[in-house]
Amino acid sequence: MNHVSQEELVLCYYADPGSEGAQEHVARCEECAGELARLAMVLDRVTPAEVPEPPAGYEAQVWRRLHWRLRRERRPAAVWMKWGAAAALVVVAFTSGLLWKKRSEAPDRAVTASSGEAANAEANGAAGRDRILLVVVSDHMARSERILVELTNMTPNGGVDITAEQLRVEELLASNRIYRRTASERGEDSVATLLDELEPVLMQLANGPSTLTADELRGIQKRVETRGLVFKLRVVRAGVDATPAPPLQPNI
Amino acid sequence: METSDYELVMRSRGGDDDAFRFLVERHSRTIYRAAYRITGNAADADDVVQESFLRAYRALARFDARAQFTTWLHRIVVNCALDLIDARRRREGRIDDGEDLGQLPSRAASPDRIALGSELQRAIETALDALTGKERTAFVLRHFEGMPLEEIGGILGTQMNATKNTVFRAVRKLRQQLQPFTGTPV
Repeated sequence: MNHVSQEELVLCYYADPGSEGAQEHVARCEECAGELARLAMVLDRVTPAEVPEPPAGYEAQVWRRLHWRLRRERRPAAVWMKWGAAAALVVVAFTSGLLWKKRSEAPDRAVTASSGEAANAEANGAAGRDRILLVVVSDHMARSERILVELTNMTPNGGVDITAEQLRVEELLASNRIYRRTASERGEDSVATLLDELEPVLMQLANGPSTLTADELRGIQKRVETRGLVFKLRVVRAGVDATPAPPLQPNI
Repeated sequence: METSDYELVMRSRGGDDDAFRFLVERHSRTIYRAAYRITGNAADADDVVQESFLRAYRALARFDARAQFTTWLHRIVVNCALDLIDARRRREGRIDDGEDLGQLPSRAASPDRIALGSELQRAIETALDALTGKERTAFVLRHFEGMPLEEIGGILGTQMNATKNTVFRAVRKLRQQLQPFTGTPV
């Protein structure tokens, strides 16, 4: 007699649709009934932790903070300033990284050009900024990868609501443009090329309808798959993550 | 009679801040609880509440009138919480994909401490914390909130089989972590 698998037991425990056959078997089989009882002994004990009640007036607090953010967001100038500032920050970070790289390639120059302590402090600062930048780009690629995986896993049957995904894509698109430009200026070719390939897909998602027909979803999935975007993101991100943090120079 | 969510959404779309304030005040506590169950702490839950309403506001124009506002908002909350967990784990340098329980340090309580209920609760929280963001979310939605697998898949963007596997992996890891408390073989 074929007993039910552990996966089927989990479905039985929750009485999920599709587990009817397994449930019937468990009702007849002592061994599987015992297995289910052992599973239930664990899962029955997993009760949710008590959620601490937010303080009185929490709702008003949430609104106050939110309202402030909404008002700031609605000012068009503020939006451009925000992106301008973000772009500037990224450019500075990339440039700093480049400078650090050049500096580390020519250590003699760095040592002779300045008195030790100042040069080392500067090198450490640049190294830190470079590391921060790598983390930021890696994070961007991880988020992009995840959303593409989610989209490629969606089932194209009927209208698929991607409103929540679109919100995330809009944010990714804005960052992607900045990272692509600066990566290109910095000569980080593999990163720039990948972000360049990613951008049209993000743009299509952000500007397209929020409810996709089966054909539209299939089209996007095909585009992602034929370009191998998920795989490329994984590979390039692994390379970025594997970049060792530069050793800190002791301040003498 | 209480104004419906749908009407408030329509008024918010037209730029009526008070209408959106009503929505925020009506749903803050509920989504705080949902966010807390996924993130496991108050500060993160609060951040998720803020971020979710912000994302919801930005997407109001795309809200499908046929959908339930609470379902739509819940979906945003889960995604915000997942983003936050992933970001937190990356900062902490923890791997979040395809990790096997064997690679995780066992933080389960030792058998001599298992008599205390609070210990069990702590062990459950630790075990939940050892799950990946997706596993934790899927488990919380299935086990604590009783959400059907299909709906969980809709939120996580995964197909039925992948959703089942995610829940199953979470259960397997929890059983292993809680084995000292139950004495049942995994």
